Amino acid sequence: MSGLRVLTVDDSRTILAMLHHTLSNAGFQVLQAEDGRQGLEVLKTQPVDVIITDINMPIMDGIEFIKTVRASGQYQSLPILILTTETSQDKRDQGKAAGGTGWIVKPFDPEKLISVIHRVVH
Amino acid sequence: MSELDDFKATYFDECTELLSELEEQFAAIEAGERDAGRLNAVFRAIHSIKGGAGAFGFTALVEFAHAYETLLDFVRDGRVELSDEVVTLCIRANDIVADHVNAARVAEALPGDYGAHEKSRFDALCQDEASGVAGPDEDGPIEDFDIDFTPVAVNLETMDSFEDSPLPQDAGVWEIRFTPHQALYARANDPLLLLRELAALGEISVRPVIADIPTLSEFEPFGVYCSWEITLVSQTATQEQIREVFEFVEGDCDISIAQLGAGGPVPLSPGESQAQETDRLDGSLADLLTLADDEIEAAPLDLRESQEEELSDAGFAELAAAMTTPDPAPPAAGEASSPPIASAPAMPASPGSEEASRVGVQSIRVDLEKVDRVVNMVGELVITQSMLTQQMDETLRARYTELVRGLEVLAQTTRGLQDSVMAIRAQPVKSVFSRMPRLVRELAAKTGKTIRLETIGENTEIDKTIIEQLSDPLTHMIRNSADHGIETPEKRAAAGKPKTGTIRLSAEQAGGNILIVIEDDGGGINREKVLQVARDKGIVAPDTQLTDEQIDQLIFAPGFSTADAVSDISGRGVGMDVVLSNIKKIGGSVHVRSWPGRGTRMTLRLPLTLAVLDVMLVRVSGSPYVVPLSSIVETIQCSRAPFERVPSGGRVLQVRGEYVQVVDLAQRFGMPSNAEPDARFVVLCEAEGETKIALVVDDIIGQQQVVIKSLEENFERVEGIAGGTILGDGNVALIVDVQGLRANLHHKNAA
Repeated sequence: MSGLRVLTVDDSRTILAMLHHTLSNAGFQVLQAEDGRQGLEVLKTQPVDVIITDINMPIMDGIEFIKTVRASGQYQSLPILILTTETSQDKRDQGKAAGGTGWIVKPFDPEKLISVIHRVVH
Repeated sequence: MSELDDFKATYFDECTELLSELEEQFAAIEAGERDAGRLNAVFRAIHSIKGGAGAFGFTALVEFAHAYETLLDFVRDGRVELSDEVVTLCIRANDIVADHVNAARVAEALPGDYGAHEKSRFDALCQDEASGVAGPDEDGPIEDFDIDFTPVAVNLETMDSFEDSPLPQDAGVWEIRFTPHQALYARANDPLLLLRELAALGEISVRPVIADIPTLSEFEPFGVYCSWEITLVSQTATQEQIREVFEFVEGDCDISIAQLGAGGPVPLSPGESQAQETDRLDGSLADLLTLADDEIEAAPLDLRESQEEELSDAGFAELAAAMTTPDPAPPAAGEASSPPIASAPAMPASPGSEEASRVGVQSIRVDLEKVDRVVNMVGELVITQSMLTQQMDETLRARYTELVRGLEVLAQTTRGLQDSVMAIRAQPVKSVFSRMPRLVRELAAKTGKTIRLETIGENTEIDKTIIEQLSDPLTHMIRNSADHGIETPEKRAAAGKPKTGTIRLSAEQAGGNILIVIEDDGGGINREKVLQVARDKGIVAPDTQLTDEQIDQLIFAPGFSTADAVSDISGRGVGMDVVLSNIKKIGGSVHVRSWPGRGTRMTLRLPLTLAVLDVMLVRVSGSPYVVPLSSIVETIQCSRAPFERVPSGGRVLQVRGEYVQVVDLAQRFGMPSNAEPDARFVVLCEAEGETKIALVVDDIIGQQQVVIKSLEENFERVEGIAGGTILGDGNVALIVDVQGLRANLHHKNAA
């Protein structure tokens, strides 16, 4: 499973650092972006196997980010995991409606995080 | 665990930024800018603080932030009106969040009921507006948070638990029927992965159900026709675990789960029971399954042993082959929304480089020490470069034109490099300014005054070291303004002023300096009292006459304090003299100006950077001295300088109708000058407060840049000298403290 590229998008440096730690320990290559727009920039230049994105972000939030990624044509089968403390059906539905593949609830358990990634990516 | 400490450090750094962001947003909100963007930013900041706090188990902070966030969410969508009262409550809440963060940082517990009052007000506000509606996230009780989370190294080997799951002897048998809809594929879910995850629970056998597959003429390439029946044999699997596998695709598929011998199927989502015949299997799908089998070959179950393997019919063989290259996924993809598999994002051929994983990050965090090393080296480079330029005399210039041109380019590049390096160290003063609103609120509460703080130019950038040194002096000056400057509301009303006093904090760049101005509309400096105290304390000789401006400056004299009773706010024995010495230490100066009854203005003039100074190199008694270029107005030859004698015996210089004090540096530093008086030069400098001072030097050597070295650190403090520097030829030159010389002039006059 090593070498898979995970794009992590979150406006919190703490969360990005934790994701980086957990994911790189599990053998993933970690790409980082601090908001949706930065995330799109990364996608332009880097191949990505799975995206983990926060919802509440400045400039471009997670919902819009997911919609844009899905609408781009190139990434319709790219798994996107929503990373959020917002476990409400409401937010989750919004994320899913936008094209989100699944979700991870913050604060995340490292093992659970990895297993969820394996649920959506080869 | 050191990683955890690292994460915590990151978190607290982030909190500091988020808290100052909150201050900033609320300053604007208080000023009436109550747009959605600000509210969203505030919500996000609190949300992020809560998120991180949850990860580290800062329960008290999580609980408070959660309640606050709930209120903010209500405010954000208009369920609670953002009244002045709510704004005040929020500002108070920000302070409490800051206290919680600080408590977490130093690992100290706050009282259990800290912030309880505010929390109950949040609850009350939200309850009033929408009773019974849960919080912004509908997170449920806070206890749901896995707050014991500890980041740990994850070993993938142990994660592939299906690899070594033993075959259960007397296992439960589950029948699962799984019919994906197109939406499942549109969201990039993959049945193969779901089956693989299911395989991790126990032993599975999978039978594709193809009853819905139309004839070839009606077949749509990206249609979704296939569903699966799965038998899961597991001793331990629970229905919850099975449901969890399909958690993400709930609603995007029909699924039923039934335990054999334990009643009928348990439908997870509405959808008619799948009653397809399994014996109508087509060989092509068996092929597909074989491919799927390759994917889950690690599973204990060998699918090749299952009955489907035996079936063979080549009807869809070609199609299957096409669909399974290069990605061996089941026949998936929605008609409109899924791309041909061939255009799926390419897997990286090989692991990318470290740099690759950095792309997309707009900023990097660098140890300040590393930056300083670069700054120092660039400083030395600048000096070497100016030394080289100095060595070029006319003969050399004429002989080596190419070399001269090269040196000119070097000079330009060095200058550019220096500017760029300085820009790295530059930071907006915002980081200091943002601490002041809270200070003013607390001061207002303590003194019973109403005070408004205005900040202007907080994006002005200045060297990081200077910013760090700025916090204490600014705090002290604002305390001084709030305590001594602004009057009580009654006094203000009596004087016909608005009851609310204003302190204005502004920053701007002016040439090579940054000006920071602290202004208040209070009572101004009580000059009579200041002069009286100064005389009583022997700071000023009894018979000395001082101008108003000179009297104002006395508040910076060491040990000076006019408060009759030392208040616990600004009169802590150390007074404004500490401010002055702190500011001087970073190469700045302070000037105060006061208008009785109307207010006081204190101006801090700070250098843009500490490291390199543009100077004029002069000679005094055969030794080199440097005068900061930023303070020089003009230079005049002594033979043309209109000196005049004053009755006290000193000399003054008349410059455009203005009389300027003259300081002969040789005389001042007690050295003999053997230069011809008329061949000497006057360097006219501007000191603080637009007053000037004329320095007499023996000769002017030229202009250059120098790296400032502290005299106090390397030798000791010398009156009239601000520091030292090493010149290109290795000689040490002293930096003339223009402001200090002028201040000293007063003392001399006073004595």
